[in-house]
Amino acid sequence: MKLSRRCFLSFVVGGAAGTALSPLPWKLTDDLSIWSQNWSWTPVPPDGEYTQVNSTCTLCPGGCGIGIRKAGKRAVKIEGLAGHPVNDGGVCLLGLSGLQLLYGPARVKTPLKRTGKRGGGQWQAISWKQAIKEVTEKLKELRKKNQPQSLASIGPNGSGTVSALISRFMKAYGSSNDMKMASKLDSDEQALFLTQGIQNGMVGADVENADFILSFGCAVLDGYGSPVRMFRANSRWKENSATLIQIEPRQSNTAAKADQWLPINPGGEADLALAMANIIIKENLYNSSFVSDNCDGLNSFVQMLYENYMPEDAARRIGIDVQTIIDLAHRFATAARPLAINGYGKGQNPSNLKETLAIHALNALVGNIGKKGGITGLSAYDYIRWPKVVTDTVAAAGLKESRLDGAGTNAFPHAKSLPNRFFDKLSAGNTSIQALLVAEANPCYSMPDTAKIKRVFDSIPFIVSFSSFMDETAMMADLILPNHTFLERYEDVPVKAGLTAPIVGLCRPAVEPQWDTLDLGDALIRIAQSIGGSVGAAFPWKNYKTCLKQTLADQWKDLEKKGYWMPSQSLQADADSKNKAGGKSGRYVLMDGTLETIYMAQDAPLEGDSRSYSMLLMPYDTIRITSLQIGAPPFVMKTVPDTVLKGQDGFIEINKKEATEMGFKQGQAVIVTTPIGEARVRVHLSSGLAPGVIAMPRGLGHTAYDDYLAGKGVNINQLIGPVEDPASGLDTALGIRAKLAKA
Amino acid sequence: MKQEHTQHRSKRYGMVIDLDKCTGCGACMVACFSENNVPFKKDETDKRLSITWMKVYRIDNGRDFPNNQVCYIPRPCQHCAGQHEGHSPCVSVCPATATDYSRETGIVSQIYTRCFGCRYCMGACPYHARYFNWWDPVWPEGMEKYLSPNVSPRMRGVVEKCSFCFHRYQLARDKAYANRRKDVKEADYQTACTQACPAGAITFGDLNNPGHAVHQIVKPNDHVVKNKAGISIIGKSQNPNVFRMLERLGTNTKVYYLSSREWVRKAGDNYIADEKPEDMFAEQKKH
Amino acid sequence: MSGNVEHKSDDVNHDAKEASSADQTSMTTSGSGSYILLFFLLGLALSMVAGWVVFPKLLYTQKKQPLDFNHKLHLKEVDSDCASCHFFREDGTFSGVPALEQCLDCHYEKLGESVEETLFVEQYVDKGRQVPWLVYSRQPDCVFFSHSAHIYGANLECRTCHGDIGHSESLKPYEENRITGYSKNIWGSNIAGLKQATWDRMKMDDCAQCHETAGIHDSSVQTGRDACFVCHK
Repeated sequence: MKLSRRCFLSFVVGGAAGTALSPLPWKLTDDLSIWSQNWSWTPVPPDGEYTQVNSTCTLCPGGCGIGIRKAGKRAVKIEGLAGHPVNDGGVCLLGLSGLQLLYGPARVKTPLKRTGKRGGGQWQAISWKQAIKEVTEKLKELRKKNQPQSLASIGPNGSGTVSALISRFMKAYGSSNDMKMASKLDSDEQALFLTQGIQNGMVGADVENADFILSFGCAVLDGYGSPVRMFRANSRWKENSATLIQIEPRQSNTAAKADQWLPINPGGEADLALAMANIIIKENLYNSSFVSDNCDGLNSFVQMLYENYMPEDAARRIGIDVQTIIDLAHRFATAARPLAINGYGKGQNPSNLKETLAIHALNALVGNIGKKGGITGLSAYDYIRWPKVVTDTVAAAGLKESRLDGAGTNAFPHAKSLPNRFFDKLSAGNTSIQALLVAEANPCYSMPDTAKIKRVFDSIPFIVSFSSFMDETAMMADLILPNHTFLERYEDVPVKAGLTAPIVGLCRPAVEPQWDTLDLGDALIRIAQSIGGSVGAAFPWKNYKTCLKQTLADQWKDLEKKGYWMPSQSLQADADSKNKAGGKSGRYVLMDGTLETIYMAQDAPLEGDSRSYSMLLMPYDTIRITSLQIGAPPFVMKTVPDTVLKGQDGFIEINKKEATEMGFKQGQAVIVTTPIGEARVRVHLSSGLAPGVIAMPRGLGHTAYDDYLAGKGVNINQLIGPVEDPASGLDTALGIRAKLAKA
Repeated sequence: MKQEHTQHRSKRYGMVIDLDKCTGCGACMVACFSENNVPFKKDETDKRLSITWMKVYRIDNGRDFPNNQVCYIPRPCQHCAGQHEGHSPCVSVCPATATDYSRETGIVSQIYTRCFGCRYCMGACPYHARYFNWWDPVWPEGMEKYLSPNVSPRMRGVVEKCSFCFHRYQLARDKAYANRRKDVKEADYQTACTQACPAGAITFGDLNNPGHAVHQIVKPNDHVVKNKAGISIIGKSQNPNVFRMLERLGTNTKVYYLSSREWVRKAGDNYIADEKPEDMFAEQKKH
Repeated sequence: MSGNVEHKSDDVNHDAKEASSADQTSMTTSGSGSYILLFFLLGLALSMVAGWVVFPKLLYTQKKQPLDFNHKLHLKEVDSDCASCHFFREDGTFSGVPALEQCLDCHYEKLGESVEETLFVEQYVDKGRQVPWLVYSRQPDCVFFSHSAHIYGANLECRTCHGDIGHSESLKPYEENRITGYSKNIWGSNIAGLKQATWDRMKMDDCAQCHETAGIHDSSVQTGRDACFVCHK
């Protein structure tokens, strides 16, 4: 039998019919459609039991309570903690992005030792044992040479155990060069001492209860103080029809949302406040009973005002008409609960002491020191009561050597730490620093004139960084001993960010350490103990957690349970009952010899002459970009508008009309030049900026971290130099002279 | 059982955002990103390609220094009901049943595995609330650890958008069932942006439920109002400070905005100079 | 029929070669119409066998569970039936397949001398490793299945969807679809997709069918059935 074509066709037809009658085509179609929806490379997040760990955020000084939501062992979300006294459920975008820091690529995953050129980014992973040994050997060597004072440290300006452990280490080791990064807290602290006699204190501002808020350039809605608390206060103002007046040259978020925006010439805050004080006193609008009962030096204060701060002169200097000042003074003095707040931007940089005193004086004149809706001087946290450090002869000799920055000397008697002066000294050729420890600070990025700071770092023979992330300062280190992130460690968080009552939050681990990192406290304890002798004896704890538990003693249980502890009730109640200022003496000093010198002093001029540099470059703070030691995680960068950053290009804001006159178009590339440096940026024409001022955000232009942050925009600290406030010694630069040219 | 269900009053989840309180801080955006596994790239400055379910727009009054005024407008998916419930611009054009409108919740859904990426819905959406995945999302190594199991990560070639954190509704319903309740409590179902907003500017809940804060602020009209163009406006707010974006289109969104500033309210619905949106609505009521 | 072919060969003279061969074929098989039916049936039969018997065998690959688990034995030992191990958490979420920690509640020490127990203790308990169970009912990531709604809300029993697995003495092999990667239990053991019991299949249509029966099927504007955002995420 031979097969005919017809037989074959018949076979095929039969086959087709059979196939159609079998499940094959239908099942295959279904399976293929499911297959087409399988994306094996798209992650499938594993599920697990949902739990929550309550902790405190340490990414900024705000001290918000956070809840870390977990699925199984993974942390999957950070949320604000409802009912927490600081933030009651609200949370900012940086806190929300915390998990990107925890699991992100910028983490330092193991102790590292530099192998190539400094800053070259070549590292060798080493063990913790070796890392501790290398640090110890170097530090022992300096002590052997009787040069303990050649060790310096740069750390956070905190009141908690971490900051205290660093200071204790420096003391036991024998060096007084214990630098803390400076901020608004430093200028506030000095002002508080000079006016109310409170030492190491902090200023609490009862913003929630004020009904007329005069903000002298504070980024109330961009990260000032405890940011979430300020947002909540602002909402409360809206509900209660309170008035917010924002005084600053640029229409910041705060200015945009304020009831009135008052653009003044940069640096005119003290002038304005004192001119207002002048009017308030002259027109007898001040709270005479409070002032006569509690304030010292009214007469000399008035005299000084009449001699130097007449409204007409001030109006000319700050670029607004005198009637505006008079109106403002009237409204401020006649409001039920007026409040003046100070500190430029987020308050990450110190303010001029004259300005701080002037604004505090405004509050004193209307009698709202220690009142509801006023400011309160709070004394320092004092729960750390460790035994005194017993120094050996080497350390004692080292401690006799004076601090390099001159803090606490006759020139700057009230300053605790002046990192700007420290770097100035080293930059000027002082070579006394042989080793440097850096913890929770990123001076190579966040201090003005970064090129200079990096040159100083380059000249220090031995640098140890404790950074959790590969930041600009860690890049300059010889050894990195990576700390846990805030989601992997315990820490006490005493909040200083302007709250009216002291509160200590507990930061606690939400997940196991993801990498081979070690708590900064543990690293210090281990280094101290392996140096041994009196240094080791100053650190008797088994580990940091034991130290923390012992330090907090009775409060530990409460802290573990509630997540925070409020050491005492607000001093406000006390002060109210006595109708007195908050200080121990109960007095508020409007004027004395020291204050007179400060008020009468000329302001330190901005760097650069106005002929070659026709404009004024000012940094501005925005909550959409983090600008302290924490680099912005990808989610935060994602919210940055394209008028601030486009591709890798940063923008500089300029008044629209002025830019048009200069021939600049939106988005055009320009070169901005200052006495310190120059950079290529693009212009953004703004209707919210005073003419003559150009503004750039803080927080861009990182050279370290990861591809999601590095190389984007320009670090404004490359363009700005420090300006030392003669009264406090602090760097209070609010900008620099600059010029723009087409690129 | 069927009867019992139909007797059950349907919900209309919606939101009112207080633009007086909103500070443009961006917390809502990031709360949304991290809640919903929203992807990110190394460069997010091309905003057409940047996926932001919740996006904060900045508008100003167009005047020069120093009379410039600014307002921030957070924009989630508006969850349009359309001319009759479910006639949302996007739902009505989807050829794949990938986006759907639920009569039970009033939420416009998006099912990624169902979507084949034609992007008709993106063209139809008047609010730019929909985003296309031109690339597969890539998380840097290790970062996929924070992904939430409650929201499936997307793949390239599909459209995504705000879901009113529907997974939170699912979880809240789980909890309600476990407690032998039928109803989801107001506090148990809140979107991530609402919860995170540090200014407390967002209020979320059931617009049909007079007990919910959102209903009390919005005071939606029970009657359908017709505007001059003959377009039905459902649920028009009776609060003079409340408006909806492009309300005149009759998209009948469930996201309302509150502002005490007139120029802001005008900008929300009125883009022609000197036009008065209130004239758009005739007195006539349709029952 | 052969006449037809002949006619065609005349007609299509431009392809003489093919035409003549066809001519030859038709001549040799002329009068063999029954063969054609035979070939039809042969094709039909073979493809039916391929579709019904061979295809399912090729489609699935068998995977062995890491341990053989005796549900029946465990059910006897515990107090609250399935919920002893597969329980609801306080927040209403369902724990699903137990984690090792749960097993350790009883198996903190070796219970008995069986091969499986030894394997379990040596490979997992001692090493602190989770048992990589292959879950027969695993659904795609885009599915949100609420156990709470079905157990508390609709008062369904476990077996309505999972069958009588609670009384099995041994775990059946996990059969994975080579194309989709999902378990055979999703489509069901019947390759035609027919089901007798409610637990025979676990595809979306099966959910929809049950929802329709229960009268909760009208919230979707697009389909008139259940809205997508009921079971999807």
